[in-house]
Amino acid sequence: MSDDSPVPFSPAPPSSTGSEVNRRRIAPIIVLVVAAVLGGLFWVLAASDSGSPDEVGLVDSPLIGRAAPSVRSTTIDDAPFDLARRKGSWVVINFFNSTCVPCKAEHPALVEFVAQQATFDDGAEFYTFVQPPDDDDDIRAFFAERGGNWPVVRDDDGRINVAFGVSQVPETFIIDPDGVVRVRWAGEINADILSQLVQQQRVAYGA
Amino acid sequence: MSRAASLKRWPGWVLLLLVVAGFLAFGSTRDAGARTPEERVEEISKQLACPVCNGETVYESRNTSSTSIRAEIKAQVTSTDATDDEIIAYIVQQFGADTQLLPKASGFESLVWVLPLVALVCAGVGLFFAFRRWQRIADTVPDDADRALVEAALAAETEPEPEPEPEAES
Amino acid sequence: MLGTMILAEGTNGFLGHTALIVGFAACLFGAFALVAATVLHNPRLLRSVQTYGMFALAGSVLAVVVMEKALITRDWSLAYVQKVGSYDTPALFNFTALWSALEGSILLWLLLLAMYTAIVLRRYRTRMADPIVAWAMVTMFVVTAFFFFLALGPTDVFRAAGAPDFARCCGGPNPLLQNHVLVLFHPPILYLGYVGFTVPFAFAIAALVTGRVGEGWLVETRRWALFAWGFLTLGIILGGWWSYEVLGWGGVWGWDPVENASLLPWLTGTAYIHSVMVQERRGMLRVWNISLLLATFSLTILGTFLTRSGVINSVHAFSDGTIGPYLLGAFGVVVAVSLGLIAWRGDRLRSPGAIDSPLSREGAFLANNVVFTLFAFVILLGTVFPLIVEAKDDRRIAVGSPFFDTMTQPIGLVLLFLMAVAPALPWRKASGELLRDRLFWPAWGGAGALGFSVLVGATGFTPLLAFALAGFAAGAALRQLVLATRRQGYRGLLGRTNGGMVVHLGIILIAVALAASNSYTRAGEFSMTEGDTVEFSGHTFTLLEVSSFETSNSVGIKAQVSIDGGQAYAPAISKYTATGMDVATPSVKTGFTGDIYLTLENGSTPSTGEAKLKIFIKPMIVWMWVGGMLCGVGTLLAAFPGKHRRRPTDAVSAPIPLDEPTLDEPKQVADV
Repeated sequence: MSDDSPVPFSPAPPSSTGSEVNRRRIAPIIVLVVAAVLGGLFWVLAASDSGSPDEVGLVDSPLIGRAAPSVRSTTIDDAPFDLARRKGSWVVINFFNSTCVPCKAEHPALVEFVAQQATFDDGAEFYTFVQPPDDDDDIRAFFAERGGNWPVVRDDDGRINVAFGVSQVPETFIIDPDGVVRVRWAGEINADILSQLVQQQRVAYGA
Repeated sequence: MSRAASLKRWPGWVLLLLVVAGFLAFGSTRDAGARTPEERVEEISKQLACPVCNGETVYESRNTSSTSIRAEIKAQVTSTDATDDEIIAYIVQQFGADTQLLPKASGFESLVWVLPLVALVCAGVGLFFAFRRWQRIADTVPDDADRALVEAALAAETEPEPEPEPEAES
Repeated sequence: MLGTMILAEGTNGFLGHTALIVGFAACLFGAFALVAATVLHNPRLLRSVQTYGMFALAGSVLAVVVMEKALITRDWSLAYVQKVGSYDTPALFNFTALWSALEGSILLWLLLLAMYTAIVLRRYRTRMADPIVAWAMVTMFVVTAFFFFLALGPTDVFRAAGAPDFARCCGGPNPLLQNHVLVLFHPPILYLGYVGFTVPFAFAIAALVTGRVGEGWLVETRRWALFAWGFLTLGIILGGWWSYEVLGWGGVWGWDPVENASLLPWLTGTAYIHSVMVQERRGMLRVWNISLLLATFSLTILGTFLTRSGVINSVHAFSDGTIGPYLLGAFGVVVAVSLGLIAWRGDRLRSPGAIDSPLSREGAFLANNVVFTLFAFVILLGTVFPLIVEAKDDRRIAVGSPFFDTMTQPIGLVLLFLMAVAPALPWRKASGELLRDRLFWPAWGGAGALGFSVLVGATGFTPLLAFALAGFAAGAALRQLVLATRRQGYRGLLGRTNGGMVVHLGIILIAVALAASNSYTRAGEFSMTEGDTVEFSGHTFTLLEVSSFETSNSVGIKAQVSIDGGQAYAPAISKYTATGMDVATPSVKTGFTGDIYLTLENGSTPSTGEAKLKIFIKPMIVWMWVGGMLCGVGTLLAAFPGKHRRRPTDAVSAPIPLDEPTLDEPKQVADV
């Protein structure tokens, strides 16, 4: 190994010229600044938790408190559907597809909810929106197998999903009789929570 | 002085700069052709993050929600005359601020733009002071003690170096 | 109780655990033996160190072999095999499933680390008594021991699992890792790069601990750093190629956080291999070099943490790990130790020399250091900024390609300029005259490149400027190579400077390919039925057939498209039955001046013969891969020894005669 002792480079003379002194003062400062920055980085990394966006439950939406987007499409039975014409009643809409696991899990709860609402005079209306690759036959088969009989609306180009800001199925929205979005729920929902939410909104609306 | 050497003085370089400037001016102002709708959709979707995926842009992701967003962008591009920014604003409005991949230039987020500039300035200042200090050192003259040190080291060489073969300009 | 525990595992689990325990113990014993030998000045303790190294290597090799065997025999008693194994995965992808998830990737890292440790041990076996070598080996043993610990404890690679529930498990690795052979090459080569930087890091720590921070340790580790850098470069390029071939959006780089994590050590590593030359010649920039080297290793650990902790969302990330805190802790320890050692030995690191003039090669390398450090800072800032905002305001933002592209472009242009000017700069001091002379033809090369680009139709200020600077830089590199080969024949291609010029050419090709494909890609989407022909961007595309197909673990739709009436290309889209995940397989026609890239979109139906086809025309992409190859070749050339070993008393540079009549031919001077 070649000699790496300081010959022939003479070691820095200890004479304190102005610049030497400045250097000795600056160096610790630089080390401290670097240490502080790295410490900050370390703290930020330690403090953050896994950033997984899979949330279930009440989710904020930019639509809450604003008029629902205009929706005009057809159901899978080729009947026309226009959300604006549903004003005057409470509307619950649900976005799903026939293969997702939480969608299958929540389906009985939705059947129960719809049956329940049907017993009231001014019960909430329920609509489901589907988009490709689900096609009409898949949906009919799904409902035939698991029950439920409410209008399923097509969203062939996904624009309705985008308009509501749906990021992952299933999602459920509650819209009041004035056409204003009140609640957004992401993920699987059950009948109790859904009726509770609708009830809460009715009370707030009536007040 | 040889012709080659005289070329390399200022006439050659001036000509070079004129040629380069000319080409740059011509090339950068030339019309690149209209963007196809797909290219517009591409550009817009590259600026948006997929709402559910792990860090992919709407452009890259094959997720259902991204596909819907791309379809929406395409519909707006082909059938309305919304500008790119308006379309982006619409999507961001529906899905939330963390969809846009470009941090805003205001508030806390502007730090991501400001800090690199600050770092650049600090680097420039640091280099300036470093060179100034080195200039002072370089201006020193070797004294007898330094010369003695070098003599001693050279004398310690055991044999003369072999036939020198230059390593080109390294 | 231990007995029942062992009986509960299968043979593979037992063997694997044993192998890891043996390796872990060997590393610990090796480290202790070395420390004891050095501190107590007892060379007899050194005799066993070689054996410990061999045991560590044997442990990691055995662990990998056992895991592969378990994968191949589908041994469901191991949790990892249930995670990434499957009856239906083809053999090659089953083999590469070893590194397709978190636990296995630690095994791969460990294997390479133990291998490097063993090689270094063997190479320096006669010099163990030297404290620098001893402390370097201690560092390597400690790092290896840490990874053994990770594989045993936090991730427990060989964890036993209950009976397999085939509804939920055993679906094989992520489908994206199952459809291209590059999965066999990219991770191992990339890891060879990452892990390779442990060796120069170990020597840097040893130099600081022993206080011998002169040039000796540098010369020893120069080739290690170069090879590690070469592997890292190749690994990153292969990653880009793999993205391009597999992901279906036609890009090579997405500024994904994990991609950025691999770029960060590459940036500081590149700065290091340049700036180290200044230390060898002039004994200067020691603090820079040590800091860059320690930073490179720290960034490797940080990158590992980011990839495996789930802290940042990325397609590449191995999430669901409990390993995060340990890696973060390791990062903290490495950084603290590095800063502490630099602070302690700071006065020895300072050199009395001076860089006389900014216009000199030392000045250029210093500028290079600053630019690369800024580049690394910007990328690190952009990558962790979402975390900072989340920590402060508890809301999520995203920082993506628009930010990184905007920041990278000016930095890239500055780097091209430096690449053009620096090879022509002499050491110590340059005069304007000298530069004017040396840079003349390269500058005309740049003008020529610019003219050519404009003539073939390129537009836009930034890409044209990039082409001009690329031509300039290529001219400077070629000038160096031509002068060297003129003087030395084939030996003019060997050695650090000349090999470096070849690498520069590779990087220039990559820069040109990136500039061209980012600015001039054309895209079009077409809905076609069988028999249709469309015309796009000067080519015709005929849809011949749309069909379904099935493989052992997927079903898919394939379209046969004939380009310009010639050979048919078959983009496809497959649904992997185990996960329900859709994966697009693009089909690429590679050409000299550009690729035609086809993908099939959702909404294609074989029954009606309809296909939704997306066509990209991507200029100059193939030059990225050619450039990558050149980088590899150049690294090999640069690793050859130069004709002389430089001695400290050699003149730093030849005096430059300024009163000579002509400056066209550099004078024959001794040992320039």
